[in-house]
Amino acid sequence: MELIHSSNYYAFFQSDKERCFYIDFGQKVVRLSFCQLLALRQKVWAIRIEDHFDGELNAHGFEILALCNKEHLFVLNTLEILDLKELLIGAFSFFDICVPTSTRAQRV
Amino acid sequence: MKDIARQSLSIKVESMDLLNNQIKMEAHASATYLAMASWCDQNGFFTGAKFFYKQAEEEREHMMKIFQFVIDAGGNAISPEIGGISHEYSSIVDIFENALDHEIRVTKSIHNIVMKAREVGDLATERFLDWFVLEQVEEENTIRDILDMIELTGTEGVGLQIIDGKINDWID
Ligand SMILES: [Fe+2]
Ligand SMILES: [Fe+2]
Repeated sequence: MELIHSSNYYAFFQSDKERCFYIDFGQKVVRLSFCQLLALRQKVWAIRIEDHFDGELNAHGFEILALCNKEHLFVLNTLEILDLKELLIGAFSFFDICVPTSTRAQRV
Repeated sequence: MKDIARQSLSIKVESMDLLNNQIKMEAHASATYLAMASWCDQNGFFTGAKFFYKQAEEEREHMMKIFQFVIDAGGNAISPEIGGISHEYSSIVDIFENALDHEIRVTKSIHNIVMKAREVGDLATERFLDWFVLEQVEEENTIRDILDMIELTGTEGVGLQIIDGKINDWID
């Protein structure tokens, strides 16, 4: 298992042997197939972080994230969501399926 | 290290996002045309209704075409949520003008995906959308022709009845 990217709270790994990914969420390590990883990315991307600063739209500033066909359930706060976003951006930038940007680290 | 992500997905992940958005747009178009069919039926434009029922079906086919492409490429296709469908129209002209505007928005969105795909060298997505680019020219042209026909016929007297009958020419 190789570390691909880490953020403040989380770490992203790839296992060549198992052909899957792992995210260390601190309290729990979650195993994700590629499809599950794509689904996580889509869920995180769909979160409107502006709503966290609106007392009516998201009064408590939490997001409930169900992963891997409801196998895992996370309740994340604003900072954790932002950090998870950062983790996924960093991790995806190592893949060839992601459009490279000059500001991001080159693939090693 | 293997690139498992690349082995799993044949298109750029950004293209997948844009295509999922296009799926939503086609579904929205289908639902809008269904609302237009309902309006036509309620206001005595029975051929107009037939035209829009058919359009609604076609838009759903477009949606499914993109949906299947995303799946075939190894991506995650998302079943769209649709909201904000207007059922309020002031006239048959208003209906077709709205339909044309809607088609133009779809055209722009497809062109945008093509340009982005080209920029990042996603040839598969670019080529896949060839069919849609040409289809949009036809769709816009159909509605433009109907608007021209409405203008020529005029909406006075039996005009509206004649208009409804003539819409049949665009149902094949
Ligand atoms: Fe369409
Ligand atoms: Fe259309």
